[in-house]
Amino acid sequence: MSNYSVIGKPIQRIDGYEKVTGAAKFTTDIRLSGMLWGKMLRSPHPHAKILNIDTSKAKKLPGVKAVITSADTLHIKYSNWRRYPHLMDETPLAEDKVRYIGEPVAAVAAIDEDIAEEALGLIEVDYEVLPAVFDPLEAIKDGAPQIHEGPTVKNNISEARHFEFGDVDEAFKKCDRVREDTFYLHPVSHAFLEPTNSVASWDLNGRLTIWTSTQTPYFIQTLLAMVLGIKEGNIRVIKPHVGGGFGGKMELFSDQYCAARLSMLTGKPVKIELDREEVFIATRRRHPMYYTLKTGYMKDGTLVAKEAKVYTDGGAYNAMGPTSLYLSGFFQIFPYTIPNYRYDGFHIYTNKNPSSAMRGFGGPQAEFTCDSQIDMIADDLGMDPAEIRLKNGMKPGHVIPGLAKVGSCGFEECVKKAMESTKWKEKKGKLPMGRGIGMGCYGFMSGGVFNWIDSPYAYSAAYIRMNVDCTVDVYIGSAEIGQGSDTVAAQIAAEVLGVPMEDVKVIRGDTDSCPPDLGAWGSRQTLMTGNAVKMAAEEIKKQLIEVTASLMVPNVVYDFDIKDGRVFIKDRPERGIELAEVVKTAVRAREGQALFGRGIYTPHGKGMVSPAYSFGAQVAEVEVDLETGKVNMIQVTTAHDCGQVINKLGVEGQLEGAFVMGQGYALSENLITDEGKVLNPSLIDYKLMRAPDIPDNFTSLMVETHEPEGPFGAKEAGEGLTNPNAGCIANTIFDAVGVRIKDMPITPEKILKALDEKKKKEGK
Amino acid sequence: MRDFEYIAPKTVKETLDVLDEYQEDCKIIAGGQSLLNILKQGLMAPEYIIDIKNLEELNYIKFDEKDGLKIGATTTHRSVEFSDTIKEHYNVLSEMERHLATVQIRNWGTIGGNLCIADPTGDVAPPLLAMDATVIIANKDGEREVTVLDFGVDYYETVVGPNELLTEIRVPVIPSNTGIAYLKYRIVEGDAPIVGAAVAFTLNEKGACKKARIGMGGVAPIPIRAEKAEKMFEGEKITDTLIEEAAKVASEETTPIPDIVASAEYKKRVIGVYVKRAAKLALTRAEKAAN
Repeated sequence: MSNYSVIGKPIQRIDGYEKVTGAAKFTTDIRLSGMLWGKMLRSPHPHAKILNIDTSKAKKLPGVKAVITSADTLHIKYSNWRRYPHLMDETPLAEDKVRYIGEPVAAVAAIDEDIAEEALGLIEVDYEVLPAVFDPLEAIKDGAPQIHEGPTVKNNISEARHFEFGDVDEAFKKCDRVREDTFYLHPVSHAFLEPTNSVASWDLNGRLTIWTSTQTPYFIQTLLAMVLGIKEGNIRVIKPHVGGGFGGKMELFSDQYCAARLSMLTGKPVKIELDREEVFIATRRRHPMYYTLKTGYMKDGTLVAKEAKVYTDGGAYNAMGPTSLYLSGFFQIFPYTIPNYRYDGFHIYTNKNPSSAMRGFGGPQAEFTCDSQIDMIADDLGMDPAEIRLKNGMKPGHVIPGLAKVGSCGFEECVKKAMESTKWKEKKGKLPMGRGIGMGCYGFMSGGVFNWIDSPYAYSAAYIRMNVDCTVDVYIGSAEIGQGSDTVAAQIAAEVLGVPMEDVKVIRGDTDSCPPDLGAWGSRQTLMTGNAVKMAAEEIKKQLIEVTASLMVPNVVYDFDIKDGRVFIKDRPERGIELAEVVKTAVRAREGQALFGRGIYTPHGKGMVSPAYSFGAQVAEVEVDLETGKVNMIQVTTAHDCGQVINKLGVEGQLEGAFVMGQGYALSENLITDEGKVLNPSLIDYKLMRAPDIPDNFTSLMVETHEPEGPFGAKEAGEGLTNPNAGCIANTIFDAVGVRIKDMPITPEKILKALDEKKKKEGK
Repeated sequence: MRDFEYIAPKTVKETLDVLDEYQEDCKIIAGGQSLLNILKQGLMAPEYIIDIKNLEELNYIKFDEKDGLKIGATTTHRSVEFSDTIKEHYNVLSEMERHLATVQIRNWGTIGGNLCIADPTGDVAPPLLAMDATVIIANKDGEREVTVLDFGVDYYETVVGPNELLTEIRVPVIPSNTGIAYLKYRIVEGDAPIVGAAVAFTLNEKGACKKARIGMGGVAPIPIRAEKAEKMFEGEKITDTLIEEAAKVASEETTPIPDIVASAEYKKRVIGVYVKRAAKLALTRAEKAAN
């Protein structure tokens, strides 16, 4: 058993008090003297040529300080895909045409919000409306409207992903049975509670400061530099507290660009805040996908071959779509072993707001289809769905040819623990009509090996300074967006340096003082930033131990450690020196230089996806109202293998939050569009789950493994659990009422309809 | 949102004078829980907003054994929810309020405002319909009493004229041996109902149905009563079979508007289920009251 002081303990968040009391400052709280308000004019058409933009009337409105259109930009296409330029397809303001309703066309800065709003109404845009296409299956047909021109785009397919291993066709021939199912996954919004917003301020020295709600300060810094034509070092990105991101704030957006550009033109700070409607119509969403899944298996339940074909509705721009598409194909073979696999995924442009990364990054779509189908296979074979999962589940060291090598893997234990805790064997197949129990499983990455942004820096970095009073300052470029990563970083530093949590200060969210880090996406910060913090702290620890050794002059066979404010000989813990004394001596010995440590992390030799994988199993129990089709969640139990737990409270919070998000995805959320127009762009009409809707009983079980690549053996806990919920709920509904919904979301109306059809078939 | 002039009259009389002056150019705001959304969406752009939230004259809950219940129009949902008078004599209103939207909305929103915005899914109207409630509508020259049944005209439209103000809601004394229940269907808690059904049964001394009332929300452009279904109960002994049949008839009396949440067919079907469930609960309560 480990003997840690703070690692693995339920530690209160370091930003808890300020957040709970409302003292925490978010970007919206930033108000600067002389600040102007910016607003953006958005396209009312899903697809149209821009013939002319006349801003003269808007510019003449008293109180208006600047109006910009694409003519005021450098006409640079950008996105996170700097390493793959053919995928960079966005401009800050629409150039020659608009491709979705809500696309920014112009922006205004004025002395107040009302004048800015009024000025938008005075901008005259002549459009030539073009035929539009909204469904990816229509968009790939010959003769469909072409949304983007260019040599790499044909039939609106901007990117195709293919991978294959084993001998798929031969393997299918040998299978006892083969089943093919098609699924549809619907679009959902990130629905972060803090709308996208920024304040930019250009100063007299030609430097720009931007406060913005982002998951990726470094991406904003480097991409803004590119589109504004200024040096990266002259841009300071400050990330105050962030009210949620979920993948929807990991790119440079037009509002950030426009605030910056308008500030450069006016010499005054400019604030742009999207309203809720703008958030729904013009920020990102999760990819809708048409998913066809063919799986071959043996009578004993062994999965032999799988073929997946995915047509994804990418919306008007690539955004992070190509990665969602790639990862959806990849997580389709998690957490079950498939020796023969072929994946073909197509990223298709449509005239809707761009789909992009969203918690799970292609995984929720993959696991819904994979886990729904595995239950159908179990049903077909008369097997217990848990048994078929155990039979095919991944084991430590599993290799996916050409793609990945799994390190630690506690999948089997997760399934067993979830079964035991929920009395699975006693309940499965034995509950009364209307009540059901079901399972969903998953595996997920702990940070991506991807470097689309083409950063020459390490993926994560940390600086640590230890002060003579034994307080520790941790400088990190990672992004705390509510998930608790700053607390994890502080815990790691506290553990290595043997100081209490309250003596660790985390300095983050400021590119002027913190090292570059790729930011919060793909569940990467605990492992990657964590490793960098650990390395930096260990560098200081090494210096402290050197000093201690020279003070104590023990036999060289002894090792030292630091714990609870003391540096001591590991095997003779009674022999040691107070940490404070060692620190002071170390500083004196270094001619007064503060103790300083630097750490970096970049994965090496870890395959195409991630350095480590989390695993988990979830069991839910539901009650279905047979007369209305409404699903009532009774209990949910999740067993999650996140390696060594760093913060127990943090892991529980993430698991619960991910489930609630997945519950909304499965049952109620849906970003509904008609001819490219979002029909429910408000929190009244977009149905997020609320506190009373979540299950009364939520159990988080931790299955601890040791991940060699992670800090203290830790890996992912933030996203993976978003993936199994929909499949788990679908399977639970099937157990409750015997109907299988493959078309998401699983609304009461669909359940009722399926029940009617089932009755008809059974001749009742 | 377009600029408007804000007027906050001190008395009802002053309010009625202002209304008379500005008529169609003004809109009344009380709790603001609906109007603000409508203004933000640009669906309305009045020149004047008349704020009656602070008219203490209209903030009351009164009861006597002869005239029944009187609720002032600016009484908040939260006040109705917690009123001992209402709990004692009209508990169904307290139950309804406890599940209306969220606490924050109930703290601000008013019962009069809820009726006047005339959202057909509103929670307040169905139980009032089941209790034969009326409302008082005033203008500068006097007042009139209108039944809640006749109050709605169309989707988001009522009989209240541009120079008029809803001042009071009246609910008659509940006869003895009466049970009332309101149940609603929604997918997400705290949301407006998709459909809602209120049923009131008054039993005679033999235990048969003396009077039945069924109020329904979300199933037509305005809140409606299932009058055919009500008649099926009167004079009859209420059984599960009768309830099932009447619920089907009630469902047929509806003309729901499909929306992004549910189709018309689905709403029609679910209202039948909810009329049935509310009827069963109302019957249990009526029987308990009779014993």
